[in-house]
Amino acid sequence: MRPRRRFVLAKTVLVLIGALLLQIGAVADLRLLGATGDLLLLLAVAAGWVDGPDRGLSWGFAAGLAYDLVLDTPFGLSALTYAVVGYAVGLVSVALSRPAGWWPVSIAALAGVLATGIYAGVGHLVGVPYPFGDLPPVALVVAAWNAVLILPVMRLMRRLVGAQKPDRIALVLGGRR
Amino acid sequence: MAISRPTGSRTRLVVLLLASVTLLTFGVRDVPVIRDVREGVGTVVDPVVGAVQAAARPLGNAWNGITDYGNLEDENAELRDRLAQLEGDRVAATDAETQFAELSRSVDLPYVGDVPTVAARVSSGPRSNFSHAVEIDKGTDDGIAVGMPVATGGGLVGRVSRASGSTATVELLSDPEFRVGVRLAEGGELGTARGQGRGEPLAVDTGIDPDTEVAEGTGLVTSGVDRSAYPAGIPVGEVTKTREGSGGLALDLVVEPLVDVDSLSYVTVLQWTGDE
Repeated sequence: MRPRRRFVLAKTVLVLIGALLLQIGAVADLRLLGATGDLLLLLAVAAGWVDGPDRGLSWGFAAGLAYDLVLDTPFGLSALTYAVVGYAVGLVSVALSRPAGWWPVSIAALAGVLATGIYAGVGHLVGVPYPFGDLPPVALVVAAWNAVLILPVMRLMRRLVGAQKPDRIALVLGGRR
Repeated sequence: MAISRPTGSRTRLVVLLLASVTLLTFGVRDVPVIRDVREGVGTVVDPVVGAVQAAARPLGNAWNGITDYGNLEDENAELRDRLAQLEGDRVAATDAETQFAELSRSVDLPYVGDVPTVAARVSSGPRSNFSHAVEIDKGTDDGIAVGMPVATGGGLVGRVSRASGSTATVELLSDPEFRVGVRLAEGGELGTARGQGRGEPLAVDTGIDPDTEVAEGTGLVTSGVDRSAYPAGIPVGEVTKTREGSGGLALDLVVEPLVDVDSLSYVTVLQWTGDE
């Protein structure tokens, strides 16, 4: 591995660990309507928006896996959910040619709702029936956190992955960086 | 325009999705390797998380002050009233406690008998929106092990689902995966209670004979039958509603837990592993 790539990888791992510690050490206790934001999901969304579906997928998987390691919920559920959401956000981002303005904010909020739905839906499929009554406040609060924090997290993501090769799907679909 | 997706990317998509599904399959089955890995990660991460929590506490307090200000005012007034009432009740309760302790010793109830206990502080709430577990500030160093029941003076709270050196995770009885064998305090019918999510009552939808007469307010305690994960006699909740179960094979009970697991500060871990 070339030194530059190693450096980027090290920074990526540091960002993941930092986000994880912030999530479970601070953000998890900042509750509104009984729900809280999700920094790990936000990383997947930002990676998908900034760098395309390929990276959204990878970041989503890695962030979800890291989160799964410290939770008591079924292992792999966050990894699957965040990977799918990161990929979907990447596809939308490329299809719309990464518009600025309110687009990333709106898409990040929608991604929060989508992630909540996927998580609970897959949970039901694997025999962990999360009560549907819990979902609206969770979706609302995660969407709000995503909308508020997506722009600074996107800036962080651009600085982190800016030196890497462009996303392969983004290249094929003709997305601009 | 026909778009062909790059092969490498498609491979990555397939590999990561398959990996996620595979991990999820193992996770749902709670295979020992994953449990061990989670415990190992917990041992490393928990002390750092404790430091982050300590640093972030002022932020959390400020947040709770803002989001709960209205509730806090009402709660404060209510608590003042209750404090005055409790002062009066205290003297009478002391006498009742003495008598109860004596009675418990004489009938050797496991819950209040000689099961050793460890008092612990709830150091943080659920770590995610779909988690129904809290962290406590005692772990294996204090004699806590996975599977031990956790209670408060009010009744059952849950069980230890993970334990590292200085912390442990308690699965709350509101968790949809939580199950506990229960017995009706009046009548002695046995059933299984399960969690239904935050703020929701417990459901008992297996085990109770459909012809059983169950009055509203009937108490439920842990059954403690052979190989039960809980000792007998821990108060669990009170029946608030009954209805005929699907197929008429059982009576379904809606049970309000005695402990509000969303606002725990201190809990007691019963050092009971079912081998006794």
